[in-house]
Amino acid sequence: MLLQSGQADRADLFDDPDLAVWPVKDEWPNQSATTTSEAVRLMRKLAERINASGFSLFFCGAQGEARRLAPVLDDNFPGISLLSKALSHRGVESFARLAAESSVPLWWQRCDSRPFLSEAAACWAHEVESPARETLGIAFPVAQERGRHGLIVFSGEDMMLDENLLCDVHARCFSLFEDVSRQRVADCAKSPVVSRRELECLRLTADGLTSDDIAASLGLSVHTANQYLTNSTHKLNAVNRIHAVAKALRCGLID
Amino acid sequence: MTDRRHQSLGCHKASTDLGHMIHLASTTQPIEATAPVASRAGLARLMRRLCADIGAERYMIVQPSFDRGPKSMRIITSNWIFDALEDFGSDGIGKIIESGNASGPGAVPRPLLPATALFLSEEERCAMREHGHAELYCQKLNADGVAIFALFSAETPRRIDAAALMRAHMKCSYAIVQFFRSCGGQEASNPLSDRERECLLWVSEGKTTDEVALILGVSPNTVSSYIAHAIQKFSANNRAMAIATAIRSGII
Repeated sequence: MLLQSGQADRADLFDDPDLAVWPVKDEWPNQSATTTSEAVRLMRKLAERINASGFSLFFCGAQGEARRLAPVLDDNFPGISLLSKALSHRGVESFARLAAESSVPLWWQRCDSRPFLSEAAACWAHEVESPARETLGIAFPVAQERGRHGLIVFSGEDMMLDENLLCDVHARCFSLFEDVSRQRVADCAKSPVVSRRELECLRLTADGLTSDDIAASLGLSVHTANQYLTNSTHKLNAVNRIHAVAKALRCGLID
Repeated sequence: MTDRRHQSLGCHKASTDLGHMIHLASTTQPIEATAPVASRAGLARLMRRLCADIGAERYMIVQPSFDRGPKSMRIITSNWIFDALEDFGSDGIGKIIESGNASGPGAVPRPLLPATALFLSEEERCAMREHGHAELYCQKLNADGVAIFALFSAETPRRIDAAALMRAHMKCSYAIVQFFRSCGGQEASNPLSDRERECLLWVSEGKTTDEVALILGVSPNTVSSYIAHAIQKFSANNRAMAIATAIRSGII
């Protein structure tokens, strides 16, 4: 009897419709940057939080086998800081490669300086050779879901990070990078909007269906299905259907 | 390069004066030194610590795998009770992961509740209730491009600390990277050989078989056979599906 009433209570608890509204008690105010100067302002706040004096945001680029860091914004906005210049230089390709392959923070210091990461934080991060001489720094690799990769670097003499701060800052870097790269996409992509029907066809193609299958499942003729796919291929500026599917997946147009 | 990275993990000397850092810490919890996660036991220890931090009871780290068909799940670590796993099955876990509720790093986490998780079957939602997953969070980890998910759930709703959850997201990601490097568990997730991966990558960039052959300096027949192998390994129907599977799982 007791057990039964207990179960009933629990069931009521689970069905509480209020639960769908989640109480966000986020330490970080949930701000998102819609302009570049806004992003710079948020970055500056983030840098203050760890006592960093400089920061830079890069996109990771690849040309065949070579890796480069392309500066996007830094503390010298709208100019380019020395740190950004140093890290995007061709001479530090090995660092760019490390950054592109890593998903844990990379940090460096001078041999005479005291580590600015706490012991627990240093367990998670990876110490690397300094890519820019005479600096202390930490670099957070970031990526958009299935998309562009990037790197957010902080430097300064008085930086201090413990384990929780390391995680907080890295998480915040991810959402900032998402905002910045979304802006970039919106800026560059003046491409026509892919229609709902075209996206549906692309999604089914990604699931391995042929044009015949797609036509049958959407109730279209095969020619219409093919036409939708051709249109979406043109709109995405792709050379063939597979390329279009890959592009749509990478931009997050389809899941 | 991987070797070098591995060696330098955690070999760093501790700072002697942590007082200042503790003062700066964003929570008042004492800082525990974390050993690098080099074993399954170490991973489980970390997960228990994270559960305590965020107020969750159950954890699971799971990886969609291609070993046994396209939709099987490889559980890396978990304290879900056996009955819950049996009732839920890899189907149920797969549905949670693919429901679009998984949050990426830095994203505000979204809770999954038995009452509102309508993409699950009635039985699965019952199992969720029955086994104490009143509030479940699914996070997509950032681990060297491998698709891998952490699930945290609490028996009592509204107890989970969001900020700690976002931190736990990053810590899980770091830990999984360390775990894979030391245990070499990553191969299982990527069934493709380097050459097969390379072929798929170029095909996804819109290159034809002949063009890929030219790029890689092999014959078009070889390229076709690499791609056919990849299609077979993913149990895909055709090239488009193989490409999609590879992109979804982060292999290319």
